[in-house]
Amino acid sequence: MSMDSLLLSFRLALCVSAILLVLAMPLAYWLAYSSWRGKFLVESIVALPLVLPPTVLGFYALIAMGPRGPLGKLWIALFGHGLAFTFTGLVIASILYSFPFAVQPLIASFESVDQRLLHASAILGAGKLRTFRRVILPLSLPGVITALVLSFAHTLGEFGVVLMVGGNLAGVTRTVSIDIYDRVQSLEYGAANRMAIILLVISFGVLAAVYAINRRVWTPWTAK
Amino acid sequence: MDREVNLPSLAADIRKERRGAHGSTFTLDVSFEASPGITILFGPSGSGKSTLLDCLAGFLQPDDGRIAVNGAILFDSGNRVELPPQKRNIAYVFQSLALFPHLTVGQNVEYGLQQLPAPDRQKRAAEILEAFRVGKLKDRKPGEISGGEQQRIALARSLVTRPRILLLDEPLTGLDAALKSSIIEDLRVWNAANRIPILYVTHSR
Repeated sequence: MSMDSLLLSFRLALCVSAILLVLAMPLAYWLAYSSWRGKFLVESIVALPLVLPPTVLGFYALIAMGPRGPLGKLWIALFGHGLAFTFTGLVIASILYSFPFAVQPLIASFESVDQRLLHASAILGAGKLRTFRRVILPLSLPGVITALVLSFAHTLGEFGVVLMVGGNLAGVTRTVSIDIYDRVQSLEYGAANRMAIILLVISFGVLAAVYAINRRVWTPWTAK
Repeated sequence: MDREVNLPSLAADIRKERRGAHGSTFTLDVSFEASPGITILFGPSGSGKSTLLDCLAGFLQPDDGRIAVNGAILFDSGNRVELPPQKRNIAYVFQSLALFPHLTVGQNVEYGLQQLPAPDRQKRAAEILEAFRVGKLKDRKPGEISGGEQQRIALARSLVTRPRILLLDEPLTGLDAALKSSIIEDLRVWNAANRIPILYVTHSR
């Protein structure tokens, strides 16, 4: 019963964090190394979900995904059905909402790679892709893990965006945070408590893992 | 010079304006030729030694000038020629050495040999590590070995690619005199067998 919404939330968070990592990697690379002057504009857009109320983001996502919105129209033309109030729609809105949580740790760790290591790689004949794969990525591993885990945890706990875009369809868009809200509204405090505790414990575990990783992983190859 | 006319020699003519930290500017303006063997460039810190080396390696673009190795042009502002660092076939040992901290010594040395098949790569790496007397350290990480050993490995890593010139940016600072001269001796021996110009930049006599 209440496991349905918990599993749905996990499925959503897994999809979102996996897709986000793929999308955020090239963007973070560009933001970390580009010398374009207008870069701050892109940085601001990426950070917007941090300060916008989820309802605002959810509202515009809903409009865009609706049958008259650009994304909704495209989706209907391609697949024959709309996006709003579907799991896919939820994934897209959640990606937007969690974007800064994936991009910012990646930027920070890409930027902290010593520039001379990139020079060394270049003068030894390695192109940009090889330098990224063999030098930047392995040295940014803590940032990659942080990005993955934070976007997962952030998606797991979202409420406003889901409510706006997904509504409240059992098994399709009723995530655990919405289920908790429902239970409280109908005075089922016991059920609400069970789900809330699970979410609380998972969130704590995830954050503890991130902090532990960021303390340890740097040490094996720096001077003792 | 006449004797070694068909050996690599470096001809550089570089002008580059740089902005200092406090809004000051200074212009690097150098013109020199270096033939096979060690050439020492001496200058106090802030005189643009690293800027010069970065221009030669292709990390910085000179405002104006020409860089050629044995007639092959690496940079020419007049003809808008600018080879990227990857294509210059130059070896550069940085002051910080810049060994890859997450790779073993062997992987560091093999890094520039990606185009070779694995057995050749390992053979070349083993040879050069032996020439600089650090063959035993192949499986260690840079963080686990001494400063002098790191210097030898940085030299081995850059020379294993058979470069046309070698740039050294004060790589031996912080080493005691005996260790320093022993490393320079190994470099001399290597250079006797591989006649390329070595540009050694330093501010200590």
